[in-house]
Amino acid sequence: MKAALIGAGQIAKQHLSCLKTLPGVELTAICDLSPAAAEATAERYGVGTWFTDHRAMLEKARPDVVHVTTPPTSHFGLAMDSLDAGAHVIVEKPATPTFEQLDRLVRRAQQAGRHFIEDYNYIFNRATQEILRRVEAGDFGAVTHVEVLICLDILGPDGFADPNSPHPALTLSGGAIADFLPHLASLAYLFVGPHRTAETVWAKRKSSVLPFDEFRAVLDAERGTATVGFSSNSQPDAFWLRVYGERMQASANLFETRLTFDGPRTVPKPLRPFFSGLEEGRAIRRAALATLLRKFKGPGTYEGLWELLGRTYGALSDGSAPPVTAIDVLAVNRIVEALKPKEHRQ
Amino acid sequence: MRALVTGANGFLGRHVVTSLLARGVEVRALVRPAARVDALGWPSSVEVFRADLRASRELKGAFEGVDVLLHLAAVVSGGEDAQFAGTVVGTERLLNAMAASACRRLVLCSTFSVYDFSSTRRVLDEDSPLHQAPDVYARDGYTIAKWWEERVTRRFAEEHRWDLTVLRPGFIWGRDRGYLAALGQQFGRHHLVIGPLTRIPMTHVENCADVFALAATDPRARGQTLNVVDGPGERIWTYLSDYMRGSRQTGWRLPVPYWLAISAVRLGFATVFRRATKVPSILTPRRLEAMLKPLHFENRRLRETLEWSPPLDYQHCLARTYDAAPIATERSQAGSVADSKSPYKWRNRFSKSS
Repeated sequence: MKAALIGAGQIAKQHLSCLKTLPGVELTAICDLSPAAAEATAERYGVGTWFTDHRAMLEKARPDVVHVTTPPTSHFGLAMDSLDAGAHVIVEKPATPTFEQLDRLVRRAQQAGRHFIEDYNYIFNRATQEILRRVEAGDFGAVTHVEVLICLDILGPDGFADPNSPHPALTLSGGAIADFLPHLASLAYLFVGPHRTAETVWAKRKSSVLPFDEFRAVLDAERGTATVGFSSNSQPDAFWLRVYGERMQASANLFETRLTFDGPRTVPKPLRPFFSGLEEGRAIRRAALATLLRKFKGPGTYEGLWELLGRTYGALSDGSAPPVTAIDVLAVNRIVEALKPKEHRQ
Repeated sequence: MRALVTGANGFLGRHVVTSLLARGVEVRALVRPAARVDALGWPSSVEVFRADLRASRELKGAFEGVDVLLHLAAVVSGGEDAQFAGTVVGTERLLNAMAASACRRLVLCSTFSVYDFSSTRRVLDEDSPLHQAPDVYARDGYTIAKWWEERVTRRFAEEHRWDLTVLRPGFIWGRDRGYLAALGQQFGRHHLVIGPLTRIPMTHVENCADVFALAATDPRARGQTLNVVDGPGERIWTYLSDYMRGSRQTGWRLPVPYWLAISAVRLGFATVFRRATKVPSILTPRRLEAMLKPLHFENRRLRETLEWSPPLDYQHCLARTYDAAPIATERSQAGSVADSKSPYKWRNRFSKSS
């Protein structure tokens, strides 16, 4: 299967590093507006050819799958051209700035008999998958609520809040935080399904070029409720996923490998907190070591992306359903749309 | 003569501007839109052009009436991709603008980091081997970006038949930048000194700036690639002592022979870290060599080509670096002291009082 990539930036390296490990995948071409970036990436990953014009790449390399890893405002045109050229498309999140563009891409993919997949990598992290496994095994009973909160300092001068070079994400409604809405929405969707209503709070606490630096929302969904949020001001950096079931609760920090469960115990009720604390302590110590080792080797927090790509290429080669379907992409993006600041919703 | 200086408010750039002015060159200083230049004390004759090489659409205007470009701007912080985008893609955008102008003369600030220290024996000079692809991608983000920046610049210069001078400084030091990666590994106040008798390829920022100004104005520099070091360099132990004394630091210094350190790192790399992808530089053999390999560093070509000798000797450089500030430096931008009154009026009785 021939793979090509458009946009040789930071996340592209994770895609390419993973693709190099997948059997039966041939990296055929890289495209970037910068000749140096395209050539350097091709040279580094042993990719045969590089381009600065994506249409020329699609015509000459004829890839089966195109990875779109450019800034989100350019995704629509690049993905549409790739679908028109007969390729499956794997696009970085956020897939498009508007739901209308997303809907058109999904329809075009269906017409062309191709897959359009948005990267929801944190769904495929080991911790999330372990929680999902135990939910599906019935350990939790019904899931009643999920909490997703990202605490990340995006106010530093080198990234989203760079005063010299406006970050592309600032053009999205919600600004830099909009870049993270697909993570929040996809995890909420995973555990409680499509949403019915949403209430949001967007706030700005500190002076910066960002339109907002705090975000919270409450969702009523088909199978339960969800609270999702993003805090630029709370430290240290963390990505909290908490799942609440009828019999069990889980807590994970997806920036690390920390994952703890608290459920039924065969001890007298007054002793429950004691034994729960002991078990939680053991799990956190194990996770501390695993998180340290993860820094030395492998994809780190991008382990979910590698899993997603592995499953996707497996599905493409045997013709089965991919791990992220068009129904998923539409449902997640309906949530994303509902989470946007009110004046920007379509 | 009018010079365009990128990165003009940077550590080296601000001294290059001063050196150019001293040689009677008119200066257009290219700085980022949000950069503060008031405290630099530039005379009104310095024309400030605000642009960001990563984003600004109109760079061509910066070249109007310019005879020579001194390209010093580089991104030296942030991740590997931020450095590549800022340094390499920024250079592409800058040189595309230059290609549309009448300017045909260019002085590039490269670095010693483009040399392959692992393949170099005894003497490192301009004929020493450079990194090669794809091995260069195993190096740090700064090295990859600067190696590519030189590659891109040489291609542009060849295509457009520009007069190019590439200057490759060693470790640049000066006021507020006394600590060098060549000093080994710091643990709090204490230092692990690897190869204490090794000499450091170093150039004081004012000496280095003098070379840039000279190269921009002296026709003998055209077409040359020159290493910039002040001389054979001080020994690590000597320089570290001067640094600690000058910056009034106390702490232990533990000397470790270079051969012992590189052997331990090679052993660790071949076993524990063999397949690791994120290892600190000091634990990576090729990066350790680039920081600390004992070589003889030569500036013979610079001396012979431009008849240059450093205006400041080592003792003067120490005085310029550590004595009371002779020039105004940018004031701290630290915020005001936070209001000490707690906003939490209803703390419960279990809260500790502060």
